[in-house]
Amino acid sequence: MSGWYDANLVLVQSTFVGLLLALSVQVPLRMGVFSFAGVGSYAIGAYTAAIVVIRWEAPALLAIAAGALLASFVGWLLALLLHRLGGLYLGMATVAFDLILSVVTTNGGELTGGPTGLFGVIADISMAQIIGVTLIVVLLLAASERGRIGRRVEAVRDDPELAAAMGINVRRYRQAAFVVSGLLGGCAGAINVLLRTTVGPADIGFGLVVLALTMIIIGGAKSWLGALIGAVVFTWLPSILAVVGEWQQIIYGTIVALAAIWVPGGVLGLVTDAYRGIQQRRRLKELAAAGAADVVEDHGADEEDLAVLEELAQESPVERQR
Amino acid sequence: MLQDLVNAVALGSIYLLFALGMSLAWGTIGILNFAHGSIFMFSAFAAYLIVNNVRLPMVAVIAIGTLVGAALSLAVQVFAFEPILRRAKDHRTAEMQILIAGIGVAIVPLAIAQENTKSNPFGFTGSSFKATTYVLGDLRVTNIQILVIVLALVLGLGLARWLQVSRNGLALRSIGVDSEVSSIMGVDRRRLALLTMLVAGGLAGLAGVLLTYNLGAITPESGEALILKAFAIIILGGVGSIAGVIVGAYVLALAETVVLTQTSGLWVDAVSFGLILLVLLFKTEGLFGRREVRRA
Repeated sequence: MSGWYDANLVLVQSTFVGLLLALSVQVPLRMGVFSFAGVGSYAIGAYTAAIVVIRWEAPALLAIAAGALLASFVGWLLALLLHRLGGLYLGMATVAFDLILSVVTTNGGELTGGPTGLFGVIADISMAQIIGVTLIVVLLLAASERGRIGRRVEAVRDDPELAAAMGINVRRYRQAAFVVSGLLGGCAGAINVLLRTTVGPADIGFGLVVLALTMIIIGGAKSWLGALIGAVVFTWLPSILAVVGEWQQIIYGTIVALAAIWVPGGVLGLVTDAYRGIQQRRRLKELAAAGAADVVEDHGADEEDLAVLEELAQESPVERQR
Repeated sequence: MLQDLVNAVALGSIYLLFALGMSLAWGTIGILNFAHGSIFMFSAFAAYLIVNNVRLPMVAVIAIGTLVGAALSLAVQVFAFEPILRRAKDHRTAEMQILIAGIGVAIVPLAIAQENTKSNPFGFTGSSFKATTYVLGDLRVTNIQILVIVLALVLGLGLARWLQVSRNGLALRSIGVDSEVSSIMGVDRRRLALLTMLVAGGLAGLAGVLLTYNLGAITPESGEALILKAFAIIILGGVGSIAGVIVGAYVLALAETVVLTQTSGLWVDAVSFGLILLVLLFKTEGLFGRREVRRA
């Protein structure tokens, strides 16, 4: 076991970084905000941590915190700036933001190391710290998928008008999406640079946007678990596909394309759908046994939506009082 | 100075040929095809493979590139975008899924070309065509540059005219305004969508071959950079406006040339990304846009 761990240490570490990066793009998507600013936050986090460590020999956790906080601040500014945009326009505006950062770092002179980037970022980061940060992030996000906040987030995504009518401050939720995305992206970038000791403009191009997006799409866009599945798959897939040699990239691309077309809910969506299907069939069977199957056909999704609405309706007076 | 202007116009013409198809598909049938850059590159690559074995004149190479581009684009529409449109529950999810599927599909031709060329630039050295340079005082213009400029302007203006005048053009524009009402009025959306993607792919293939002739060789990765530039051009001109694309393409090329000649050259890529942000922030509908951007 420990032999395997040592041999695959780089991949294990990359899985955590990949998970944080995927989450930074997933959080806004979960609120219906089509933003890829998480990748830009990754760049900000990476460069901030690198600069802090090189110039002042800051300890690892402090460097991560600096990167994450600066990235989330920039995310907040971006939210204020882009609040009028939605859909594809927002998506492309944030991609433009990411890529401008890579041009800026290329031209940053001594501060960012220009086209070659920064080297020798050596800090005392340990696996326990990485796991700790990731665990806190995942626990908080998992909490945000349940109960009240979870229902509100769902409402903001699926029907912003309805959510607003229910008294949810949609704009504030959207801003929060940008800020959280900045925090997570910044964390991912900072951790990565502390592990790899280098960062350059080439690390933060359009390819990183595609990687983060494919992780979420393959894993599942609706829950942190999907991002985890995606991060594991796409960190390990290249080394597994190395077996097929020169066909690696072609197979990789085919998998992404097929998944995007035929499995929009990702692996997680497939699993939950199958689980629900089994449950529903069992329920129908029980009902059929009771002789009432003809009354209850074709529910499932509608029933769930109704439940969400009812719960929201119960909640709204509280929101209104604020 | 005048030389820079000529180069900028030639560059703008390549941008125009590339962005024209993307803009047509996005502005009418609402498909933002991220595989457009990959189709562009792969058409030139397919022509390169054939030219390597058979010595062909330029016209044949251009025809091959255009046909390959049109076929690929049609295949992407039939096998990727149509299934998504059939299954998606609303327009917003379909839009996003099409974007992602486009990015995914684009990886495959890129990977094939990279594998084959080992990511080295490829060109039409096997073609019987030889570039000639005309010298007028200090000014140097190649016959390819002239061909590119003329073709881009003819096709750009022709497409704009076709959309304005022809029956199919009218039907396409009506889809862009309200696709449901247009289909009630008897517009065959599927047929027109296929036609649009066919034309868009053909233009991408044409642009790919011409750029390869113009530069001598291109890398497999050149499609990716062009996608984002084309996006900047379309946003600048206004989604759905062909006149906007024509103006946008030359404005971007001129702006990039100015930056290239005035600075160290490392800032060139920031021009298109900066344009996207600026236009989206201050004039969301672009220079010639006809409709408002959907609010969040």
